[in-house]
Amino acid sequence: MIRVAVVLGVSALLGSLFLFGLLRGRPDRDIPSNLLGRELPTFTMPLYERYQAGYGPEFAIDDHSSKPQVINFWASWCVPCYTEAPELEEAWRNHGDQVLFVGIQTQDPSRRAEGRAFLEQFDLSFPNGFDDDSAIAVSFGLFGVPETFFVRADGTLAHRHTGPVTAALLEEMIAELQP
Amino acid sequence: MVRLAAPAVVIALLIGLLAALAAAQEGVPLELETQVFEIGRKLRCPACTAESVADSNAQIAIRMRQEIQELLAEGRTETEIIAHFQNIYGDFVLLEPPKRGLLLWVWLLPLAVAALGVGLLVLYLRRWTRAASAPIEASEAELARVREALSDELPPGGTT
Amino acid sequence: MISLGQLGSASLLLALALTLYAALAGIVGARRRDARLLTSARLAAVAVFLAVTAAMAVMEAALLADDFSVSYVAEHSRIASPLWVKVVTLWAALEGSLLLWAWLLAGYTALLATTAPNTALRPWALAVMQLVLVFFIGVSALAASPFEVLAAVPLDGPGPNALLQNHWMMAVHPVLLYLGFTGLTVPFAFAMAALITKRPGSDWMSQTRRWTLTGWGFLSAGIVAGGWWSYEVLGWGGFWAWDPVENVSFLPWLTATAFIHSVQVQERRRMLKAWNAFLVTLTFALSILGTFLIRSGILSSVHAFGDGPVGPVFLGFFLLVLVVAFGLIALRWDQIRDRAEVDSVVSREGGFLAGNVLFLAMAFAVLLGTIFPLLVEAVSGAKVTVGAPFFDQVTVPLWLALFALMGIGPLLPWRRAEAQSVNRNLRWLAAGAVVAAALAFGFGMRRVYPLVTVALAGYNLTSLALLIVGAVAPRARLTRRSGASAFASYALENRRRFGSMVVHLGVIVIAVGVMAASAYRIDEQVRIDYGSSVPFRDIELRAVAPFAEQTPRRASLGAEIEVWRAGRRVTTLRPRVNNFGTSQNVASPDVLYRPLSDIYLNIASSVDPEQNFVVLRVVQSPLVAWIWIGGVIVVLGTGYALSPKRGRAGRDRTPEGAAEA
Repeated sequence: MIRVAVVLGVSALLGSLFLFGLLRGRPDRDIPSNLLGRELPTFTMPLYERYQAGYGPEFAIDDHSSKPQVINFWASWCVPCYTEAPELEEAWRNHGDQVLFVGIQTQDPSRRAEGRAFLEQFDLSFPNGFDDDSAIAVSFGLFGVPETFFVRADGTLAHRHTGPVTAALLEEMIAELQP
Repeated sequence: MVRLAAPAVVIALLIGLLAALAAAQEGVPLELETQVFEIGRKLRCPACTAESVADSNAQIAIRMRQEIQELLAEGRTETEIIAHFQNIYGDFVLLEPPKRGLLLWVWLLPLAVAALGVGLLVLYLRRWTRAASAPIEASEAELARVREALSDELPPGGTT
Repeated sequence: MISLGQLGSASLLLALALTLYAALAGIVGARRRDARLLTSARLAAVAVFLAVTAAMAVMEAALLADDFSVSYVAEHSRIASPLWVKVVTLWAALEGSLLLWAWLLAGYTALLATTAPNTALRPWALAVMQLVLVFFIGVSALAASPFEVLAAVPLDGPGPNALLQNHWMMAVHPVLLYLGFTGLTVPFAFAMAALITKRPGSDWMSQTRRWTLTGWGFLSAGIVAGGWWSYEVLGWGGFWAWDPVENVSFLPWLTATAFIHSVQVQERRRMLKAWNAFLVTLTFALSILGTFLIRSGILSSVHAFGDGPVGPVFLGFFLLVLVVAFGLIALRWDQIRDRAEVDSVVSREGGFLAGNVLFLAMAFAVLLGTIFPLLVEAVSGAKVTVGAPFFDQVTVPLWLALFALMGIGPLLPWRRAEAQSVNRNLRWLAAGAVVAAALAFGFGMRRVYPLVTVALAGYNLTSLALLIVGAVAPRARLTRRSGASAFASYALENRRRFGSMVVHLGVIVIAVGVMAASAYRIDEQVRIDYGSSVPFRDIELRAVAPFAEQTPRRASLGAEIEVWRAGRRVTTLRPRVNNFGTSQNVASPDVLYRPLSDIYLNIASSVDPEQNFVVLRVVQSPLVAWIWIGGVIVVLGTGYALSPKRGRAGRDRTPEGAAEA
């Protein structure tokens, strides 16, 4: 009977492990950022034409480090990016005086026409540029798009969100980023 | 659903797509040495499912290979380069699990099971060899008969 | 008029009903000893096979006719695909692959029902096969049917996964693997029959020996073929990545290999009955675990079928197999355990037992590494990775130990080896190892594992030579024939034994290939301007021109690269990037195969016809071709061991034939 109990015990253990796997769904989602609470790297990037009047052709995050920042990574082929774009624009219009929004097109190299169409479709008014060689993406520890980094005024990472952001999350995080 | 009239249209579109992707490669360092790939094989591509930085052609993997090449050129060692990416991405990018915390068990358990297997093997072999060498009860008359039979049949010098 | 989808569904439902009947009739017939019912069950097994064959035929017809009202065709086929791609699309995705599995299993069952000798075990073994079939046909008919009829019929489909239609190996590799998995179901079914009928002797094994070896041969061939497919298609110049999907096909291979060695102890010494039943059950359970892990998408894998709806169903079946099959072994343990006796540790049986431990330790390590990320996530929520460096470090020492055992084991006699002859053999083996290692050292090899591997290869070759000389020389002396004719008659008469030597030779060749290709691999990324050339090791690569190709099926962009060596053009390679009309571009490497080191070219990122240069990834893996050659040798050896001997009745009774393969 001990042997039968061993068989049942092992089956139950393996069964619950795999059941956990099935309930959890696909692996490798929402891997926590290792940079949480740490200072994010600085970067510069070329901006799309429509933002150059306000921010110059080359955007340096260092020039804006007095404010908290919401840094959003997107790509023109990324479907959830289209869901979150209006939410980002809305939050920027409401809180642009307290928080800087930055959009970075990444994993989508040299696709300017598509990028411009994306920006025009949602009439995004916060500065957007492109990261053709994924250098900024790697320095931020990006896994995929969309990802949004909420950065305190001191340059440390308060929160990293994977997947499309919602208006509620943006409101909550912007409130939290205030000193 | 619309059926595209001529396959030629599709082909033209595809060529366009391929060329666009090709044009994207400017500014990527074009020469990479063997060691870049050796280090890349120890790092997981963050944007892929289960591929290493050496094997993937995702943008992030291409960029990481470039960074490895640059860091090597600066004279950094393999350990330092791997630590650099671990610092950004965490333990998740390490294809070789670090020997600490819960991951220590993935290294210890196979050792433990192999040792247990060898232990059980020794234990059972001891028991079984003892069983085999246990004396067999036989009367003197039977033994004599066996001896006689053996001396008749055994060819000289036969083994096994 | 009924549609192909309805016809396919009907065939599968009919097959399901028939297999349920066959299982029930078999069980009731066996319990009541009702010969008519048993005959009916056997006939039903053939009918099941015919019904699943009909479903296969309908699916092929739908694929070839581009009938997009059938869900599977709509989701995975495409009008522009060539004929062979349409044919093999049947197993290019989840639902079709399950149908193929069911079909092959039904084929084995029908073959068993019609050809297996009428023994006490046969009815129960067939019933177990039918119960397994109930699951696979049931899943195919109900849970993951490829024959759903679509209301809105698309005009064309996306075609199969681009990686799969990129190479003809896709036609072969899955079929071989599935023939292996389903073939190994046969010894499992007989072991279960032996436990159910309380006949735990060696009958179940001797009746399934050839089936086991057949299944093992297919599985081995499938794994090697998969390695070659990776090499040819995936573009990174490797053959094995320790991906979860690769690992789960390797696990049953490990336990099956332990099993085909371990059963010989039972045949010869009538011991390890319980252990062998455990091993064959483990093999079957692991193959089901593999299908679950691949098809549920819960592990991170390049090759997974994605998170289909069948995950819970497969998990249920896996747990059922665990509880019922291992439960049965546990219940019968006291009856099947044997009073084992081993005369000496230094004996053939001692070698087999040590091999068992090593194979199982390796299987444990591979299984643990594969599911460990899931385990960590369940315990602590952390996301971690266990990758190739772990598997390499853990399995290489075990491989080397097995390799050492493979050389000495077959030289040891059963029961007890005399110290004198063991020492003499060991001296020869050591000499072989030293000579090989010295040669390798002379050629400039300095690293420890590669040197040990080469030394063990020399040691194993010496072992094969000793085995053959030991068997052939006395024959030649006694019969006063030449060595060659004595060898020929030995090889012809002792097929199992000689076949096993050939298999071991193949394993040596593979081991050396794997070692060299992994330890001495060179990867470089080079940029070549068109019209100029770049030196790479012993050759020169000359970029001629970019090219674009268009067929209705695919668009390709590539570069024509000439390979020059010592001032002469060796060949022209055409690496390219293919697009099959999906968003996925597939790099298609081109390889110059050479016995000592391949030249493997892959487009590093993309080709731009406007650019005046090309960026290539160049891989040189020494001796990588030996892996495929070794694989062929293993398959030939297995086939030879299985080949029937001509003109000798009762071949299995001859002591050598029965005991020493």
